Amino acid sequence: MRAPTPAPLLEARRIVVRFGGLEAVGGFDMAVARGAIHGLIGPNGAGKTTVLNVLTGFIRPTAGELVFDGEEIGGLGVHGVARRGLARTFQNIRLFGVMTVLESVLVGGHLHFSASAPALLFGTRRSRGAERAMVARAHELLDFVGLGSSFADRVATTLSYGHQRRVEIARALMSAPKMLLLDEPLAGMNAVEKSEIADLVRQVRAQGIAVLLIEHDMQIVRSLCDHLTVLEYGKRLADGLPEAVLADPAVQAAYLGRAR
Amino acid sequence: MDYLGQLLANGLVLGAVYALTAVAFTLVYGVVRLVNFAFGELFMLGAFLTTSLMLPEVRLAGVIVPMPGFPLPVAALGAIVLTALIGVLVDRIAYRPLRNAPRLAPLITSIAVSVVLQSLAQTLWGAEELRFPEFYLATLPPVVLFDSIYLSVMDLVVMASAVIAMAGLSLFIARSSLGRAMRASAEDQTAALLVGIPVNRVVAAAFAIGSGFAALAGLLYAQTYGFAHSSMGFLPGLKALTAAVLGGIGSIPGAALGGLILGLVEALGSGYLPNGTAWKDAISFVLLVGLLYLRPQGLLGKPELNSAGRGSLLGGASEFAGGWLHTLFGRLDGGLARLAAAGPGAALAFLAIAAVLGALMPSDYWLRILTMVVIYGMLASGLNVIVGFAGLLDLGFVAFWAVGSYLTSILFVLVLKDSFGVAPDDIWWLLYLNLPLAGLLAAGFAVLLGTPTLRLRGDYLAIMTLGFGEIIRVVAINWIGLTNGPMGIRDIPAPDLFGIPLGSPRAQFFFALVLAALVVFAIARIVRSYVGRAWVAIREDEEAAEAMGVPTARYKLYAYAASGFVGGFVGVFYAHYQQYISPLNFSLFENILLLMLVVLGGLGTFLGPFIGALIWIVFLQLALDLPFVQAYPETRFALLGVVLIVLMVFRPQGLAASARVSLIMPGSRAKGAA
Ligand SMILES: Nc1ncnc2c1ncn2[C@@H]1O[C@H](COP(=O)(O)OP(=O)(O)O)[C@@H](O)[C@H]1O
Ligand SMILES: [Mg+2]
Repeated sequence: MRAPTPAPLLEARRIVVRFGGLEAVGGFDMAVARGAIHGLIGPNGAGKTTVLNVLTGFIRPTAGELVFDGEEIGGLGVHGVARRGLARTFQNIRLFGVMTVLESVLVGGHLHFSASAPALLFGTRRSRGAERAMVARAHELLDFVGLGSSFADRVATTLSYGHQRRVEIARALMSAPKMLLLDEPLAGMNAVEKSEIADLVRQVRAQGIAVLLIEHDMQIVRSLCDHLTVLEYGKRLADGLPEAVLADPAVQAAYLGRAR
Repeated sequence: MDYLGQLLANGLVLGAVYALTAVAFTLVYGVVRLVNFAFGELFMLGAFLTTSLMLPEVRLAGVIVPMPGFPLPVAALGAIVLTALIGVLVDRIAYRPLRNAPRLAPLITSIAVSVVLQSLAQTLWGAEELRFPEFYLATLPPVVLFDSIYLSVMDLVVMASAVIAMAGLSLFIARSSLGRAMRASAEDQTAALLVGIPVNRVVAAAFAIGSGFAALAGLLYAQTYGFAHSSMGFLPGLKALTAAVLGGIGSIPGAALGGLILGLVEALGSGYLPNGTAWKDAISFVLLVGLLYLRPQGLLGKPELNSAGRGSLLGGASEFAGGWLHTLFGRLDGGLARLAAAGPGAALAFLAIAAVLGALMPSDYWLRILTMVVIYGMLASGLNVIVGFAGLLDLGFVAFWAVGSYLTSILFVLVLKDSFGVAPDDIWWLLYLNLPLAGLLAAGFAVLLGTPTLRLRGDYLAIMTLGFGEIIRVVAINWIGLTNGPMGIRDIPAPDLFGIPLGSPRAQFFFALVLAALVVFAIARIVRSYVGRAWVAIREDEEAAEAMGVPTARYKLYAYAASGFVGGFVGVFYAHYQQYISPLNFSLFENILLLMLVVLGGLGTFLGPFIGALIWIVFLQLALDLPFVQAYPETRFALLGVVLIVLMVFRPQGLAASARVSLIMPGSRAKGAA
């Protein structure tokens, strides 16, 4: 029998991650619904990035199961997970040096290229068509993230911090993912920029892409997220609707007790 | 038993020499994470300096210089101190400015330092061997162990010196504050900085001790074999590096153990394997490759050393700022960058200029030189695919070139002409078949060699590919049935097209030019597509590339294959152009030269390799008009090395630093193109 509620897009069960003696994540559970903005919050060092690294195959968990879109993705490795439709950004921006913005975004679309070596050598119509289509899509995404095409030919790493974040998001979206994982995309931004990125995240959801958002700004989290999971010391402290979770005394204690 | 005992004794002597040099590699690697390829040359300097100090007079650069004629121990001490000073100086000039540079930069610099030191030594002491003077201990009768093993007194001295040096080093590291600081930096450099350890002093000490050890090893080696020579440090240097990796680079007991094992394995291998002496060099490298494949961290090493820092040569600019050199390079930059980055327009213009030059050039001599420029440009382009675009430092590229050259030579000369009596004229078309065939064969070969390297990064990758390159060379020398061995293959026919001989220098030049156009066109087509973007993404940040869905292992193999294809393809023409090939054509030095040309012209550009080749080969010829260079031709290589070092320090991205080729298919860039 199927459960009455639709199956979640992503499910992590009893994830454990140990670094040597340190247990960074201890028996963590989380389910992200399709088309939801799911917030993952918790004090610094709680293990949020580690969870994201587990979900995207960067870290192989010591124990636990990962199911994405009905498929076990535990042993797939980083590019295997990406191929299944999970795209991410990095807490410390990781753009490719010397590449232009347009090129960087195109790398994000790698999965959708398939021309063979001979096709490239002879410049077949199809390989050219595919490239043109992807370039057009990349320009659309640059507009979508609020950069615009005037940035297309700038070297990505020379842009301002906020702009680099947007390039990273465009690069991740370029793979046409089912789910986007953002690791503190608002860090270091001013209020205007923050609300712009928040709008961007809503538009991503509007396209049917689920979002996992790691964020510290509770105002934004409250207004943006459909669901919240709170991590503390690698364990799940609370899980549920934002209002309920943020009202939870245990969660408030975790945030009041430690500076973020 | 006698035989075995004798082999064991020889192995111990050799092992002592390797162990001492391995300690040098490991000590410096531990402190600065640098594989200082130049230790082989410091080894050689130790030998030369000792020999010179022991003689009454030496001919230095053609001038007779009076020497003190010290006895061995005094001369040895002097040589060790001098070499240690040279080592510290090298660090100060060439490596210290690069401490925070991308990891490829100091690695390439250390290769350049090697070239400089070796060329200078050859300039000073000449190309001949310098005989090691008699020392009275060496005239004593040998010691006989177990009635049958003969050990000369000097063999015992070699072993004893090694043991004493090692014990002294252990004591120094355990007891002195500098030694403890050294160990702390080896454990964790950032932490060492934080607790206030003067890192520069520690590094200088590591270089001083390492260079002293290398010098001691070199002089003991020279004493054992009776001579010093400018290239004597090359193989022992590689072997010692192998030993250091074997023991786990960074670990001093590991280096000692690795050296001992390598010495014994080599001695036993050359004693017991059929034709073992000929293959003994291959034994070490097979051991190296196998070990890196199975256990990259070595016997006693730590696994995390097999990692590459993020960022490439092209991304991070070096720390150094300002200075007239910077301005000078800045000037050169503008023009060269535009050339090297070359869109199709500039490439065509380049081709047209080359064609006009080829058509009008009156001198056959210069036509040949220009042909060499084109050949080296093509080879460097092949290497550039893997090093410049994919960011994998491949020191075994010459193997692919050799595969192409040997394939066509073996088919034309050894098989068809010698075995079946077919005249080359009758099968002129085979050359055109061989071009793609050799390309494919070399590409397959490259994938085969590339596969075990996939797990390796940075320095280890370079070392493993270097091992492969050396194995191929040793095979080419010793598999006489296949390759004719060191004699090489003669009388390879010049190219021919429908009975029209293309052997004239002008025809050969245009032949090369057509091939070059094909090579550049093909590389540009592949690079300016999603494949090239994947390569550059891997070069800049492998993990981020994976996260974008790039199967990085597969794309690295594609880079190997593409680079191998070019190597094999060009190799075919090279053989028919030279009409004679031997294993000497495919030495590690050629690989280093190609690397330097790519760096000179601009890594990761399309025409950079040709610009590098043009500058270098034309300079090589023009400089010959200078009387000084006529007398000392090696100074040109020293100059190339110096230019490379200066380039790495001030401009690690190469002369054409701001060159940046577009990675998007031509005609797809504009916004409204779709
Ligand atoms: N690669 C690693 N090796 C060892 N410890 C790590 C590693 N990555 C993270 N940690 C540790 O795991 C804990 C959780 O870190 P992280 O996931 O980055 O927290 P957050 O993103 O919530 O701030 C921290 O104590 C951190 O020091
Ligand atoms: Mg984090």
